[in-house]
Amino acid sequence: MGVRLGSPMGRWVRVLASTAFVLPLILAFHWGQQGWRDHHYNYPSRPDGYTQLVNRFGQPCNEAARAISMSWRADDNGQTYTFRFHKKLGGYRTEMVPNKGGTSTNLDNDVYGHIQNNHLQKYVDHGIYGYACRLKRNGSTYSTHAFGVAIDVSSAEEYMGKCTSTVNTYHASIWKNHNWYWGLAFCDPMHFQYVTGY
Amino acid sequence: MSKRTKTVLAGIALGLITSALMTATAMTAPEPQPYGEPIGPRVPRDTGAGELLLVVVGGVYPTRAEAEAANAQIVFGDLQGYYVVPVAQFQGFREQVGGAEEFALASAFRTQEGAEEFTLLAEVFGHPATILPERVRSLGGVFAGLGQEPHPDGSGPLLGPVPESLP
Repeated sequence: MGVRLGSPMGRWVRVLASTAFVLPLILAFHWGQQGWRDHHYNYPSRPDGYTQLVNRFGQPCNEAARAISMSWRADDNGQTYTFRFHKKLGGYRTEMVPNKGGTSTNLDNDVYGHIQNNHLQKYVDHGIYGYACRLKRNGSTYSTHAFGVAIDVSSAEEYMGKCTSTVNTYHASIWKNHNWYWGLAFCDPMHFQYVTGY
Repeated sequence: MSKRTKTVLAGIALGLITSALMTATAMTAPEPQPYGEPIGPRVPRDTGAGELLLVVVGGVYPTRAEAEAANAQIVFGDLQGYYVVPVAQFQGFREQVGGAEEFALASAFRTQEGAEEFTLLAEVFGHPATILPERVRSLGGVFAGLGQEPHPDGSGPLLGPVPESLP
């Protein structure tokens, strides 16, 4: 069945088509329009090695390592993941983040905000987690997750052992610009950590 | 060169050497450690022998080979997941699970908080995780994951018994 554009139904088709085109653009820019900005406030310097990591962020599994929580929706399955991380890496009050008792704006305002504002949320897939008081897989040393200084994003797609990246590569530069080290260097493309040499 | 000049030059040289030594010492001094000495990156393979532990179970299997094959499929990203343990190393385990299987995928904890944290982590990955309703007595055996839960005082990992885990 054809629809003539001059007919009443044709007008509706044009309205719907316009809405379908314009609405995503409006929504996509809402993050910046709502007042988000990168504060880059009070980032700790990135430790190198185990001793510096402990000196700066405390022992593994300590209270501060799991003090701040945030939620992040995966784009591919629509599931919202709530995870925790170190109080030095976020939780400071901004236009978009309530005061959670944290001391910087790094993760939940700046990194997350850039990803939203740059329309890169579509490259955040399911499997998102942060703090976990666990050892490294098949290892006997604490994971960086136990210090609350590591976030895994798109874990199913960007699985450990894969030495290329298909989705996180689109926002990895944002993490790097905010002091995070990307695990692609050791074939763990889901992994971003705020420490080197460990 | 007069004796007085030599004395002055010697004094200046001594001062320079002393300040250089002090600077070098300051530059190489260890960072202050506000959180105490690092406990060491390696976790002791503590089995909690004799203690009453909480166990999170991911499945039970007739043989070790089957349990290990299943465990290879239950991946927690880059984190350690379950351990393959003989059912018999926990007194009271079989009574709670039933069946005649000899091996389990399990992770042991001393606190309820630790067990629940791990269960939530398993949920994120869509893996099965059940906390046994009753604590079981560890008879030693293989490492089942102790040391991977926060100490109740918030200082770091729990590396020893708590009142609830003592018989």
